[in-house]
Amino acid sequence: MSDVISKDEEHEMSADSAVEKKGTHLERMAPVKDSRPYSPCRAACPVNTDVQAYVGFIAQGRYNEAFEVIRSVNPIASVCSMICHHPCEQSCRRCNVDEPLAVRPLKRFVLESTTEYRRNKRKLVEKTKGKSIGIVGSGPSGLTAANDLADLGYQVSIYERHPVLGGMLASAIPPYRLPRKTLQEDIDDVISKGIEVRTGCEIGRDITISDIISKHDAVLLALGLSQSRSLNIPGVDGPGVLLAIPFLEDVAFGRKPALGGRVLVIGGGNVAMDVARSARRLGVNNVEMICLESAEEMPAWKWEVDEAVEEGISIHHRWGPKAVSREGDKVKGLEVVKVTQVFDTNGRFSPAFDNNQTKFIEADTIIITIGQMANVSFLKDSPVQVDERGRVVWDPKTHMSSARGVFCSGEVVTGPGSAIAAAASGHRSAMAIHLYLQGENIEGRLPSYEKEKIPQLPSEVVERITKEPRMKIKHLPPETRCSSFTAFEFNYDEEEALKEAGRCRGCGGGAVVDTKKCMACLTCQRVCPYGAPVVTSVSEIRPEYCQACGLCAPECPGEAISMVSYDVREFRDALPSVIGSVDPKRQDPVIVAFLCSHHVGVLGFSLPENIRKVAVHCTSRIDVNDLLKALECGADGVAVVRCSSATCKYKGIENRVKARVERTKQLVSMLGMEAGRVGILTADSNDVASYSSVCEEFANGIRQMGLRTR
Amino acid sequence: MIIGSQKPIDEIWSMVKDFKKVLVFACNTCVAICHAGGEKEAETIATLLRMRAGQEGKSMEVNFASVVRHCEPEYFEPVMEELQKYDLILSTACGVGVNFLSDRTGKIPVYPGINTSFYGAVESPGNFVELCAGCGNCILHLTGGICPIARCSKTLMNGPCGGTNKGKCEISPDVDCAWYLIVERMKKLGNLEKLAEIQPPRNWSTSRDGGPRRVSLEHIRAYEEQEELKSETAGGKK
Repeated sequence: MSDVISKDEEHEMSADSAVEKKGTHLERMAPVKDSRPYSPCRAACPVNTDVQAYVGFIAQGRYNEAFEVIRSVNPIASVCSMICHHPCEQSCRRCNVDEPLAVRPLKRFVLESTTEYRRNKRKLVEKTKGKSIGIVGSGPSGLTAANDLADLGYQVSIYERHPVLGGMLASAIPPYRLPRKTLQEDIDDVISKGIEVRTGCEIGRDITISDIISKHDAVLLALGLSQSRSLNIPGVDGPGVLLAIPFLEDVAFGRKPALGGRVLVIGGGNVAMDVARSARRLGVNNVEMICLESAEEMPAWKWEVDEAVEEGISIHHRWGPKAVSREGDKVKGLEVVKVTQVFDTNGRFSPAFDNNQTKFIEADTIIITIGQMANVSFLKDSPVQVDERGRVVWDPKTHMSSARGVFCSGEVVTGPGSAIAAAASGHRSAMAIHLYLQGENIEGRLPSYEKEKIPQLPSEVVERITKEPRMKIKHLPPETRCSSFTAFEFNYDEEEALKEAGRCRGCGGGAVVDTKKCMACLTCQRVCPYGAPVVTSVSEIRPEYCQACGLCAPECPGEAISMVSYDVREFRDALPSVIGSVDPKRQDPVIVAFLCSHHVGVLGFSLPENIRKVAVHCTSRIDVNDLLKALECGADGVAVVRCSSATCKYKGIENRVKARVERTKQLVSMLGMEAGRVGILTADSNDVASYSSVCEEFANGIRQMGLRTR
Repeated sequence: MIIGSQKPIDEIWSMVKDFKKVLVFACNTCVAICHAGGEKEAETIATLLRMRAGQEGKSMEVNFASVVRHCEPEYFEPVMEELQKYDLILSTACGVGVNFLSDRTGKIPVYPGINTSFYGAVESPGNFVELCAGCGNCILHLTGGICPIARCSKTLMNGPCGGTNKGKCEISPDVDCAWYLIVERMKKLGNLEKLAEIQPPRNWSTSRDGGPRRVSLEHIRAYEEQEELKSETAGGKK
């Protein structure tokens, strides 16, 4: 891999720091022994997005850096910001406290705040490898692989049967869930790297698979599951019975499918929800669904079901389709039979029915959404083997099909799943192709996203965490949103985003001990409000307890503790540039104010130019040496601006911070300086103006004291 | 462990003011635990010195660094080259460390950044107490585990003296009378009668009175010397 050129040089300086390790995504994701467990959100993400890192950047108003964190692992970031099923939220440790962090909406906030930034970053990647790869399919998996392979310097060609790129994202996901301009941002990021695009090109119709294989050094089949399954029941064939994918494709491409006044959707998955809700938006008032499962058993996401019900869609649970009833050609309705069991005792799908209980649901149009399968007919007579059940034969350890140099990724081989899981598969297949083309072994070298995670919060810690309600997302009311395919969910505004980002507990971003410096002095164990450190021969800070307040780090006499995210050193080192050169003829005192970045407005509000604000994760991270450094850099005064104890995210930090300020006062007195140049101020976190007023009051005190001459 | 306390910044300044490039060099063991001379305190001292230099209009470069311990040569090895770049090393180690390093820095002086106070324990965070005087002849088994050498103001072996006052020493109401503590402790241990035995005058030659001390473990030293000899001979043959 040593010949791989780092493509991150284009990053702006500020953004560089956002990405832990340099190099392309694949280089960063190459299997490495990572001893520190991931935060549960990160571990749950199919591509291990470093959620707490980017949420932390949001809390500090550093949106471009947040974008870099997201985009470094996720080429379909904008898509995910709208439609991701967000396993990060389901695993959020706040679930045990109140509600999970709104990770997906925060991602959307970042993506929509950084559009110009990302557009300006787009540029051609030099083709250094002299080899070309053909990718069939441009869904999440194909796009991700194209992204990675282009980054590595390969010539990439994408073959897409639809007139636009995006696979199912463009041709099946209804635009009210994923606006096409949102999808286009992700596509443009990838395509701008210099990728040959052949849309409207269907393999088997416009070009043969053999042509593609002979044209490229490697081929990736990222075909997805493009065909709907149908039902084998009487009356199913004929007009008035539609299949989900063709229906959704019609919707996606603005072709109005002919629907009757009463639409019945068969199925209980997420595609069924897309179909039913699209039917509502096509002007059908009477949309019903039947599914085998009860409300609890349904595979569709709960929020999708809730929103559908809000939109007036009714669901008949635990009924199975028996026969389509027709009068002549015309559909009259569906005869359904009661379901007695969906899963067997082993949890396997094994539906059973009570034929004595039936009912009839009237409908003019029936849409079948009971699952999808791959269309691999074009592989017939090709070297790529397909098994008796129509599945492409592949080796998951190498992503290679039965034909050498032909690889597979995404749902065509993994089965139905999420967009982001398909992207993860795309990353792996890109790495497989890269290794193959470099003549290296593939097995055991593909990125693994299975990571050890930090355990759930211990109950004694849960008790010490302040409950903060999740910021609600505004939606268009159901009656308005059903009139068009416009997205009905609103983005957070900045205030909401900052507030929500402040709810993150920073799991995994907390304190770590440099065991070479730790002398097992017990200080951290004594100061931690959450009982995280356990000192034996050295200190071990238990990540499941650590709340990343940072109180311990400044207390450590050996400087052995650092914070995984936003370490104190970061802002201490930045102080000279924050303060800049101090004008000896200045009229106003130069003040450095360390502010907690957790409260809304702290970043947004403006202070007079002479008051230089430094936003820190929590003022518990401020050390004596930070305060001294500010004075050393020429500040006339330095203040720690605390939030009132009632709104502080953490418990029991106030007196420690006060003690540090007192110590600094003692030290500056030893230099003959007025102790009053160091202050601790308390602002009301719910009143943005109070931050300015306490700072200005402090500045006035310093003005009366006089400006420092040396 | 060894307890130290920082010197006043004025005193440090008077030591360092004529040097151009100063390294505040921390020891991350005993003196770090007592918040006197670990890396964090070294950084504080370095900052204060730079600020003081600014106040005095002097140009002085002051940096800080640390190693695990200043009392074993191996810990210095990785930084020896770096140390050569300075005019002065202000060590925040205990006196042992200052001596030990000073022997190894050639023309570069090593000055003390802290006062070495005593051998003590952390009674509570921020409270360090002297409990041993390093006299070289331990008799704690006779005194209920309370050292009269370190803890009696007069170092009496047969106490208490007439200055004991409700458990406190006559020198200060803040100082416990060690012999009062010894008596109480011996009562608890059921050994009070042992205190009736008069302790003869001590031989202080094991303490400072016998001149500089050395502990030499023959079984380890002999081996090390042999190894050294071997490697010298091998080197000689070349």
